[in-house]
Parts: sequence; C-alpha cells; structure tokens
Amino acid sequence: MGTESIQSVEQIAAYDHNKLAMILFIISEGTFFVFLIIAYVYFHSVTKTGPTAANSLDLVKTSIFTVLLLASSFTMWRAEKSLRQGRPNGFRNWLIVTIVLGAAFLYDQGKGYFHLYHDNVTMSRNIFGTTFFTLTGFHGFHVLLGLIALCVLLGLTLAGDFKTSHSSAVETVTLYWHFVDWVWVVIFSVIYLWAFL
Amino acid sequence: MSDAPYIPVTPSLTLPRDRVTGALAWISTVDHKKIGIMYLVTSLVFFCLGGIEALLMRIQLAQPNSTFLSPTAFNQVFTMHGTTMIFLFAMPVLVGTANYLAPLMIGASDVAFPRVNALSLWLLVFGGLLLYFSFIAGGAPAAGWFSYAPLSEKAYSLSKGVDYYCVGLIILGIASIFAAINLLVTIIHLRVPGLTIRRVPLFVWMVLVTQILILLAFPALNASLVMLFIDRTLHAHFFIPVSGGSAILWQHFFWAFGHPEVYILILPAFGVISEVIPVFSGKVIYGYEFVAASTVAIGVLSFLVWAHHMFAVGLGHGVDTMFAAGSLLIAVPTGVKIFNWIATMWQGTIRFTTSMLFAVGFLVMFTIGGLSGVSFAAFPIDWQVTDTYYLVAHIHYVLFGGTVFAMFAGVYYWFPKWSGHMLSERLGKWHFWLILVGFNMTFMVQHFLGLMGMTRRVFTYPNLPDWGLLNMISTTGAFLMGIAVAIFIWNVWTSVSGGEPAGDNPWNAWTLEWATTSPPPEHNFDRVPPVRSRRPIWDLEHPENPDWKHGH
Amino acid sequence: MQNVAMPTTRLFSPDSPQAGAINHLFLIVGVIMILILALVTFLVFYAAFRYRRRPGEGEPPQLFGKKNVEIGWTVAPILLVIFIFVITLRTMHRADPAPAADDPPFLVVTAHQWWWEAQYAEPHVITANEIHIPTGKPLLVELKSADVIHDWWVPQLGRKMDAIPGHPNDFWIQADTPGTYLGRCAEYCGAEHAWMRIRVIAQPQAQFAQWEQHQLEVPAKPRAEEAAQGEKLFQKQLTCASCHRVAGTPAKADIGPDLTHVASRETLAAGRLKNTSANLRKWLANPQAIKPGANMPNFQLTENQVDDLAAYLETLK
Ligand code: HEA
Ligand code: HEA
Ligand code: HEC
Ligand code: CUA
Ligand SMILES: [Cu+2]
Repeated sequence: MGTESIQSVEQIAAYDHNKLAMILFIISEGTFFVFLIIAYVYFHSVTKTGPTAANSLDLVKTSIFTVLLLASSFTMWRAEKSLRQGRPNGFRNWLIVTIVLGAAFLYDQGKGYFHLYHDNVTMSRNIFGTTFFTLTGFHGFHVLLGLIALCVLLGLTLAGDFKTSHSSAVETVTLYWHFVDWVWVVIFSVIYLWAFL
Repeated sequence: MSDAPYIPVTPSLTLPRDRVTGALAWISTVDHKKIGIMYLVTSLVFFCLGGIEALLMRIQLAQPNSTFLSPTAFNQVFTMHGTTMIFLFAMPVLVGTANYLAPLMIGASDVAFPRVNALSLWLLVFGGLLLYFSFIAGGAPAAGWFSYAPLSEKAYSLSKGVDYYCVGLIILGIASIFAAINLLVTIIHLRVPGLTIRRVPLFVWMVLVTQILILLAFPALNASLVMLFIDRTLHAHFFIPVSGGSAILWQHFFWAFGHPEVYILILPAFGVISEVIPVFSGKVIYGYEFVAASTVAIGVLSFLVWAHHMFAVGLGHGVDTMFAAGSLLIAVPTGVKIFNWIATMWQGTIRFTTSMLFAVGFLVMFTIGGLSGVSFAAFPIDWQVTDTYYLVAHIHYVLFGGTVFAMFAGVYYWFPKWSGHMLSERLGKWHFWLILVGFNMTFMVQHFLGLMGMTRRVFTYPNLPDWGLLNMISTTGAFLMGIAVAIFIWNVWTSVSGGEPAGDNPWNAWTLEWATTSPPPEHNFDRVPPVRSRRPIWDLEHPENPDWKHGH
Repeated sequence: MQNVAMPTTRLFSPDSPQAGAINHLFLIVGVIMILILALVTFLVFYAAFRYRRRPGEGEPPQLFGKKNVEIGWTVAPILLVIFIFVITLRTMHRADPAPAADDPPFLVVTAHQWWWEAQYAEPHVITANEIHIPTGKPLLVELKSADVIHDWWVPQLGRKMDAIPGHPNDFWIQADTPGTYLGRCAEYCGAEHAWMRIRVIAQPQAQFAQWEQHQLEVPAKPRAEEAAQGEKLFQKQLTCASCHRVAGTPAKADIGPDLTHVASRETLAAGRLKNTSANLRKWLANPQAIKPGANMPNFQLTENQVDDLAAYLETLK
C-alpha cells in the first residue's frame, strides 16, 4: 500500500482485500449517516408543537440499552482476540454474547417504536417524527444486518470453521460491528443527550 | 535488454473460470473485461436513448409556439434526458472503461472482487430499466434531473415518476459505491511488483481519485433520495416547507452530491486525455506529478463548492462569497492540466489519428465550457444567467465537449485492444468533423439565446426577434450530431470483426495494457514486463534510454 | 400614453444601476475569458500544425517537465482569479445592496404555480402578473412562494431571485426609463413554467400614482344586462369566487389572480395571451386548451355563459 514499492507477488497475495473493502464501505456508510444526522440537527429547533425528543423519548431506558450495545463492541473485541489466541471456544462464546446484546438492543428499539406508534408519534406526525424514525430506523437496519452477519459467523463456527487463528471474515465483520456501535454513540448523543442535558 | 526479469503471473492471482460459451458466457461472466464491455454497451444504448430524447426536445424547440410535444411530455423528456445522460450514459461509460483498463494497466489479472463487479453491472442495468419502466407505469419523472423539492413531492408530482426516479437512482448509487470500493481495492492492492503509486498511468490516478469522490459523494445522493422517497410514500416532511420541512435542505444535499458528481464525470475523461495525447505526440506526459497532484486538488475542492448551484437562492452574501472563492480556485488545477497537455504536444511528432483529433478537440471545447463555468462563479453574473440556455451551453461544453469528446478519443484509442480490430479511420474522420461542427452549431448559439433571455426547461417560447432562427440552428446541429453518432455506431458495428487486425500494440503505446494480446486472454497476462518506470514498454524498446534512468 | 419601450428581453440593455453593475462585471470577465480562450486555442493550433509528424522524422526528445514552468502556469491563473474575485465582490455590493433590517418592502410578490401575485405595501394595491413601478428609484421587493420554487427574473432591472416556500427573500428592482420590461419565472416549477411570464411597467412617479389611485377604486356594480348576468354567474352560480378576488365583492380568494382590474391588463394568464375580448372568451371557454395543466379547470361553460362572464370581466377596468 501507499507509495512504498511493492516487493513481490507474494506480498500482493497477502493483502486482505476484505478488510480494506470494509474500511472503504464504512467510510461511505459513515458519510450516509452524517447526512441523516445533519437533517436531524437541522430540524431540531423547528419543532415547536407536538412530539419532540424531550417529551416523547425515554432517556433512561435507551441509555441502558446503549450501554449494552457498547458492551457488545467489547465482547466482539474479546471474541476476535480469543480467535487470534487460538481459542475457538472462547470465540464462540463471546460471539454468542455479542449477538444476545445486539438483539437486546434491537428488541428495545422495536418496543420503543411500538410505544411511540401507540402514542401517535409517527413518521408523518411532524418533522421530529420524520427525522427521528429515519435516523434511528436506518441505524436499526444496520444493526440488523450486523446481527445477520454475526449469526452467519456463529453458524460457521458451529459447523467447525475458524480453526485457524486468522480469519478475514471475522475481522471484517468485527470492523462493521464496531462501526454500527460507534455510530449509535453519535446518534444517541445527538438525539437523547442533546434533548435531555 | 533490461536486466529485470519478466514477472510471472502466479496462479494465486488468477481465478478459476467457468467453461460456458455464448450469451450465457456474457451474462454469467465475472471477467472484468467482459463486464467492462457490457458497461460500455449499456452506456451506448442509453446514450442513444438520451440522444433521441434530446432530438425530440430540439424538434419541439426548433420553432416558437410549437405543439410537437405537450408540456408534460416535454418536461418528462428533458428530465429523462438529463438523468439518462448523467447516470446511465456518462457514469457507466467511465466506470466501464475503468473496469476494463485499470486492472490491465496495473498488471493485474482481474479486479479484487470479480463477483461484486458483476453485481454492480447488473444492478446498474436493473436500475436503468426501472427508471425507464416509469414511461409505461403512468409517466416518467418530470421534476428535472435534480428534482428540486417541493416540486418533486407528492403534492406537485402526482405520478409515480419521481418514485421510480428515487428507487432507480438509489440502486444505481449502491452499484456505483460497490464498483468504487472494488476499483479502489484493486488499484491499492493488486498493482504488479514495481508499479508504485507514483508510476501508475495517469488514467489510473484519475480513476483512483474519482472512486474516492464516488465513495464520499454518492451517500449524499442516496440519503437525499431516501428522504424524498420517505416523504412521498410515508407522508413525512423532510422537504415540505408547509409542514416544517425545508426546500433548501434538498438543494444542499443534492448538490453536495451533484457538484462532486460533475468532477466524477470529468476526471476519468482527463485520464483518457492524459493517455492519448502523449502516445500520439510521441512524447512522455509533461509534468506527470503536477497532472496527478492537480487531480487531487480538484477532488478536494469539489467538496467545497456545492452552493455555487444556489447563488440565486438568497443564502446571503457571505455564503455566496465563500462558494465563489472555491469555484474560482478550481480553475487553477484544471488550467494546470490543460497547459501540461499542450506542453506534451509541444515539440512532439504528432500523429493525427481520429483519437488524437478528438483529444485536441477536447482541449478547446472543454476550455470553452470551463471558462463559462468560471463566469458563473463570479456570482453576480450567475444572478443573471443561471437557469438560462447559457447554462445549458456550459453543461454541454463540459459534458459533451469534455466527457464525450474524451470518451470518443478513448474508444478510438482502445477499441483495437478491446476487439482486436482497428476502427475505420476514414469513418472516424467523418465522425469527428461532423460532431465538431454539429456540436458547436447546437450549443454555441445557446450561449446567445441564454443572454437574450431564454430560460432552460421551457417547452416553448414566444416569437421574439432572432429566437426562432438561433433555435433552428441549434436543432440542425443536433441532427448533424445524430448523423455523426450513427456513423460511429456503424463504424463500431462493422469493425468489431471486420476491421483490420490490430496486433498487440498498434499505436506504439507504453503502458501495460499494450503488453498483452488484443483482446487480452482471460487472465490478462501470461507474463508482465518488468516495471521500473511509468512506461514499461518504452523501457523495453529503448534500452539505451529508459525512463528509469531519468528517475521516473 | 407613456413611452412604450420595445419590450426587449436582452440582458445587454440594463436599465438600472444594479443590472448595469452586473453587465459591467460580465464585460470584464467576458473579455478575460475570451483572451484565455484565444491563448489556449492559439497554443493548441500552433502545436498541432508546427509539430505534426513529418515523414521520416525520428523520435522527439522526451521532456518530463520543468518545475519553474509549472509554477508559472499555476501562479498566473491564481492572480487572475484573485482579480476576478475582487471585482466580483465589488459588483456584489452594487448589484445587490444589503437592505437595512427595518426597510419595509415596497412590494410583496408571491409566486404561484404559473402566475404572480403582487401586493403593494402602501397604499395596499393588489394585482397580478403586470407590475407597475415608479421610475428612477430602487424599490425593495419581498419575494415569497405559495407552492414550489419559482424565480423572479427581469433581466434589465436587476438580479434573479428565487421564490422559495418558507424562505422569503428581499431584493431590489429599479427602472430608470419608463417602459415595459419583460421577465419570466426562471426556476423550473412544473407544467406551465414556460408560460409564467412577468411584465414590469415602469412609469414616472405622477403616472404611477395615478395608476395606484385607479387600482384602489372598487369597480362599480355592472348595469348592462349581460354583464350583470355575468356577475351573478361569477359570484354565485359558478365557483369563480372561491379562487379569485374582486375588490368590493365577496370574492376574496387568492388561488387565482386578482381580477379587480383585469380588463386593464395587457395580457392574460401570465403573458400567455394578449388581453383581447376574443382571447378572454377563449380562456374562459377552456383554460386547459390554452395553458394545459394550469390550476384553473375547464368549466365546460356554454357559449352564453362565456359571453356573460366576459362582459362582466370587461367591466373590471
Ligand atoms: C463535466 C462536468 C462539469 C465540469 C467539469 C464543470 C466545471 C465547472 N463548472 Fe459547472 N456545471 C456542470 C458540469 C460541469 N461543470 C453541470 C452539469 C451544471 C448544471 C447543473 C444543472 O443545473 O443542471 C453546472 C453548473 C455550474 C454552476 C451553477 C450555475 C447555475 O446553476 O447557476 C457553476 C457556478 O459556479 C459552475 C461552475 C463551474 C466551474 C467554475 C467549473 C470549473 O471546474 C472549470 C475549470 C476549467 C477552466 C477554467 C478552463 C481551463 C483553465 C484554464 C485554461 C486556466 C486559466 C483560467 C482562468 C484563470 C479562469 N458550473
Ligand atoms: C453527458 C451528458 C449529456 C449529453 C451527452 C447531452 C447531449 C445532448 N443534449 Fe443535453 N442535457 C444534459 C446532459 C447531456 N446532454 C443535462 C444534465 C441536461 C439538464 C437536464 C435538466 O434540465 O434536468 C441537459 C439538457 C439539455 C437541453 C435543455 C433542455 C431544457 O432545459 O429544456 C437541451 C436542449 O437543447 C439538450 C440538448 C442536447 C443535445 C442536442 C445533445 C446531443 O449532443 C445528443 C447527440 C446524440 C444523439 C443525437 C443520439 C443519436 C442517436 C442515434 C443516431 C440513434 C441511433 C439509433 C440506433 C442505433 C437504434 N440537453
Ligand atoms: C380552482 C381555482 C379557480 C377557479 C374555480 C377559477 N379560476 Fe380563474 N384562474 C385560476 C388560476 C390559478 C388562474 C391563473 C392561471 C395561470 O395563469 O396559470 C386563473 C386565471 C384566470 C383569469 C386570467 C387572469 C389574469 O390576470 O391573467 C381569468 C380572467 C379567470 N381566471 C376567470 C375565472 C372565471 C370567470 C372563473 C369562473 C368561471 C374562474 N376564473 C374560476 C384559478 C381558478
Ligand atoms: Cu414558476 Cu417557473
Ligand atoms: Cu457545480
């Protein structure tokens, strides 16, 4: 990579295409979220009547699940480390914990949506609803994709893959999972912390 | 002879290939060359569609108060013309060329992710078909290629057209991002040993910067389209001012994509010119580092100028001034390129093949477009001429005089590599001169029409002095271009198998794609020549004076 | 009658200091552009002819570039664009002086899908599509939109300005000579964008005041039988009053243009038709045939109804 000269064909073969591709993909997706976040911020002060972040969201509960999601970043890191240290069982267990935490987050988000919907806070109600559901909805969608990828990894482990200590697939999915988590930190700050603090 | 050995292509770099033949071989292929060709064919088809739409518009506008097209039909046609030309012609033609050539130029056997490559192509085709399906699904979009809200919202665009526009373009956007990631990984990881980033052909440089722009700009388009689509289908309020949304936000978001997009459309064209001019001038490119660095400068600046499309919005003098400064600055790195190309011709031995004719035509035509662009950037001028035919002239001088001229230069240059046969130079000359005359007839007069007060996107105009005459000249020119394009298609059609055999390196060019057969074998190279400079083939042929002796 | 200037549409005969400033800038920039173009074209042609390959010629010297040359053609354009930037800023202030915060607008223009509504501040005159102004002084206009984005453009009088829903804009217009100035909506706004034209009629102060006084008059109730019948149709039997306004009557809506003095206008339907008796009838008989997509439906009126309505509207001088 970079400007240093490439030494040999073997060196080329050793590059991890998947990881680089994932980094580029994350840059692109990150930019996508930047625009959704800008839209939320842009309209933040517009909403004068009807539901707003401050009067319809549940800070405490979401904070707890935010911690869970962040914890899942930690557990994923542990999982990857276990694999690298040649402990496939540790990998499997940490992976399961990660999936549970991610699923818990999604479950809470679903429940939150359900309550809001019940209170007639919807996409079409006002501009807060529009921006809130779009932003968190796209994030939820990304979490879901990550969960699916994690489940695939789990399936492969159970089927006996990942006996070696280095797996491009695991490292790539891990990158993605960290991305999904850290985007949430930004979104959580913008939506929840800004409204309540 | 050079002391460095040829580089064997290791099996680890070649992919197992399926053994199917016929149409299925094309549809199921993951070979970057076949995919590249399919991109090119797709873009040619859409170029013809967009061109036919242009001719319909020109017929309607040939005379004042014409009733050839109804207002709604005209509005659909100009929207589809712009959208088609930008997204379904210019993007695929550039991505396709890059797809075919970038791996060859860096001595790779394919792109990094051949299957994803095929996916990108088919997503593009699907997105394009979906967009065109709108014509039979109740009406094409008619809100212009940048779909300003709230006109593009449900309340003012009732038909499903804009929905097809949103979904179609989102699919294209995703396809472009996948393709960009693929090309980036390829260029970063798969260069043959010795080919450092400072030695890759300038075309590869431009493709590299373009893909970075795509990676960062298309998310803006996707985000805006998603929001517009949510507005239209879920009754949300992003861009609806009466319920708290903002019409201006759409413009910011769209142009945050839209301006980088126009450089996405011109940078690979610059790359083509940077390959063609040196070869036909018999000289190495003048100021390689500066041509490459100015590309990076243009790439960075292109993210800082978007609101120059919004000078009439009333954002305030401060904002206008900032964006004017950025826009004016872009003239500088672009000028550096133009001057380096001219310097490359200087003292050369220039062969005027059709390819070189188009490249030289490009230099002048693009400069005209670039200079009218600078006049917009002096924004009080924009306050008068924005949204007039003066702008229509600008965009065609840069997009047609720039991108299309460069692509024709590229096609005449690389067609022998792609097909193994030469295009007819005789037909090529007809093609070039007809295009040159037709193009200038069509669009030069549009500068004057704009200054006389003709606004863009009008389905008709009153019978004011000289308007009819100038519009008639414009329409006549468009038909001349139509004939020229037909000649070009005929030339391609008859040469694909009937043209003179090309041989490996018909132009005496110096970059790696010419070091293999025409067309190249599936795995591209049996062996790659040693790369010790920017022009490996030159080095082989001039052992007494190789480039690497000069430190390049 | 006033001195009716040729209703020109050209940029190059500015009639206000604001438009003049822009023209001036355009001339300077234009000359610079033409010189640059001439230089580039000359160099390209010179190279093309001088350095054509001649039979039997060997390989040319391989020149990799010189730093000083590169710096030269980087710095020269930088200086040029700095110059352009400076004159741009100077023109900006002349062409578009920032209004003081408390300047009340002289006129509020609201763009509608395919016509213009004009409300004067003082006295409160309402009219449409044809806008009268006094000559010789800068007038502040506030620009709004009732639906989508439009754009005000009268080239001889000053800059373009977008009319954006939810984002009112201020700008100046000025006309130094009396006359009629043609303008149009310059931002694509849907089906009839082509026929959303503007006329600005500039008059000396005295004549303008007279026009204003006339606009304030409430039309008399029509006497003639046909016209009276037309009024009844307009106000009661048909739905005209739910979209239009006629001062002094129950018709107060602003979905369509104000018709209080429609008969005194030169054109109909935002410049689509000359305002003649025959054209008015044509419009009433089927607006959709004249301006397809316009927001006035075809009422399938009988010929009699059209005659009555036309008779009534023609009293609205
Ligand atoms: C290939 C695409 C392409 C390219 C390369 C450009 C290049 C440029 N464009 Fe253009 N532009 C478009 C495509 C492109 N444009 C399109 C599609 C639109 C309209 C969208 C729509 O509304 O539909 C548009 C609209 C547009 C606008 C908005 C106008 C409006 O809506 O009112 C502006 C305003 O500043 C602008 C400016 C410029 C500038 C400054 C450049 C510069 O990059 C040009 C630089 C090049 C040169 C200047 C020539 C070479 C230089 C020299 C020889 C050196 C010496 C020169 C000087 C010192 C001046 N463009
Ligand atoms: C790369 C981009 C590109 C290209 C190549 C072109 C090419 C052409 N454009 Fe395009 N144009 C745009 C991009 C482009 N345009 C954009 C972005 C807009 C703005 C849209 C908007 O406002 O939203 C625009 C708008 C635009 C307008 C203004 C419309 C309006 O504002 O109302 C006009 C009017 O003259 C026009 C004309 C033409 C013409 C005559 C050509 C010609 O050069 C076309 C020449 C090609 C042909 C004539 C095709 C020939 C076909 C054949 C010979 C068929 C052969 C058939 C078979 C083999 C089956 N264009
Ligand atoms: C649904 C709303 C609506 C109704 C009902 C309606 N109009 Fe209109 N009218 C409009 C609109 C909108 C325009 C402007 C059309 C344009 O120029 O695009 C218009 C324009 C006109 C004009 C031209 C005005 C001008 O200054 O150019 C006349 C005259 C007119 N209407 C008369 C009538 C009469 C008479 C009726 C009843 C039979 C009527 N309208 C009913 C909406 C309406
Ligand atoms: Cu109103 Cu265009
Ligand atoms: Cu731009």
